[in-house]
Amino acid sequence: MSKALQIVIVTAGLTVAAPLPAAAANGAAAWVKEYPRSDGSPARSCATCHTADLTKTGKHAKTRKPIEPLAPSVNPQRLTDKKKVAKWLLRNCRWTLGRECTAAEKTAFISYIKSQ
Amino acid sequence: MNLSLRTLSLVTAALLALGMAGLAIGDSDEDDDDDHDERRGGWIKPGKDVQPVSNATYAEECGACHMAYQPGLLPSSAWQQVMSVDALAAHYGDDASLSDGVRLALADYLNANGADQARRSRSRAFSVGGAGTGPLPRITATRYFRNEHDEIPASMVVNNAEVGSFSNCNACHQGAVEGVYNEHQVKIPGFPKWED
Amino acid sequence: MNTQPLASEALSDQSIAADNNDLARGHIRVWDPLVRTFHWALVAAFATAYIVEDDLLGVHVWAGYLVLTLIAVRVVWGFVGTRHARFTDFVRGPRQVLGYLTDAMRLKAKRYLGHNPAGGAMVIALLLLVGATGISGMALYGTQELSGPLAPLMSGLPSYYGEALEEAHEVLANLTLIFIVAHVAGVLFSSFSHGENLIRSMFTGLKPKS
Repeated sequence: MSKALQIVIVTAGLTVAAPLPAAAANGAAAWVKEYPRSDGSPARSCATCHTADLTKTGKHAKTRKPIEPLAPSVNPQRLTDKKKVAKWLLRNCRWTLGRECTAAEKTAFISYIKSQ
Repeated sequence: MNLSLRTLSLVTAALLALGMAGLAIGDSDEDDDDDHDERRGGWIKPGKDVQPVSNATYAEECGACHMAYQPGLLPSSAWQQVMSVDALAAHYGDDASLSDGVRLALADYLNANGADQARRSRSRAFSVGGAGTGPLPRITATRYFRNEHDEIPASMVVNNAEVGSFSNCNACHQGAVEGVYNEHQVKIPGFPKWED
Repeated sequence: MNTQPLASEALSDQSIAADNNDLARGHIRVWDPLVRTFHWALVAAFATAYIVEDDLLGVHVWAGYLVLTLIAVRVVWGFVGTRHARFTDFVRGPRQVLGYLTDAMRLKAKRYLGHNPAGGAMVIALLLLVGATGISGMALYGTQELSGPLAPLMSGLPSYYGEALEEAHEVLANLTLIFIVAHVAGVLFSSFSHGENLIRSMFTGLKPKS
């Protein structure tokens, strides 16, 4: 998926003022879905690093570095930088799901985070 | 004149004896363990061993998941390997992909400041003997790193919940982020002060 | 005792900044400028190295190189230098050294213009100790920090070499310090018992003729 298209999708997701309820619900479910690894390492989900509660500080699974809460309600900077959102969705979908997320999945995740 | 001369001479002899005794007792180098940390810590503030990170983009991008490792901790050739597009997508088990502009700018910064070009000898030491035989270079696989850390048991690092890995420099090296890796400033979480 | 004036000595007698009053009042030039410069530069360099230790490794290493250079120059000068700078002037066997020390304890020691036998022994001891400290430091730099002129030889050695050398370097440095304390005490003792200021002499180069 090209960089420009990623930005478009993210912009679309962010522009919608209120979180789309259906999308947010999908995002909530997708957040904790586990993706097993073929090499025997532990299964991964978004919650592995960000925890299931987005208002809490997370922790990088390998380096243990603290990750600031994702919820805009406690961390107002979140979701304000489109490029940053696009960058992390690209990387983290690849790392967690093993592939890039679809446009719908990205919108769902963004809606879910927005609602927290 | 003779009396005061004798007194002075005796005083000098006494001072000599006291001085030598004091030095001999104060210096506990008889033990296997080297106590020089306690004895001399605090005379001089430790200087930097490695040039601190001076690129804001590098600090932000490459410090997002782990301490932003100073460029002086690996030779330029190693950094070139790390910064290829493929290597970033498979970055030590994670995905650290960057946009081309950012990637090239950071690669330039790393190349220009690698260990092989460092002014400080402790930084240059990281360019001696390669960086391991794995698919990607590792700071922890350099000869200098291994020599300096070979006495540290797994219980203090890998099996230590607060540290986790030898790659987690600033968990123990209190001045790591500023480029100070001096052994006087090592505090391993959960253990008493490290005696070399 | 050799009374032929040496070429280098003739030059030093005419050296600039001579305290003409002192010379007129019966002082004689004993320590040439090289000896004096060497002595105080060594004090500064050793003190620097001892104080900064490896907290400022770059400074420590350069102080160490300076120490070794100074030692090398002094050793050469000890063979070709002015009268009282030469080893033949003050290096004596153990019997003479012990004889001097027992005389000194009884405040009966003869006064020497150059180094007395005990002082001469201290010169040799300190040259050796400071030299060994410096060389062990260079070896340590090579094996533990993979740096310096001995690195090509030593950087591939297992790390227990570095640990042993680190211990040796520290012991030698502390031993040197102990000898320095003894040296200062000896200088003070000699000064008081012969009624002269040996420390000032190491600055001006001048001593009273008798």
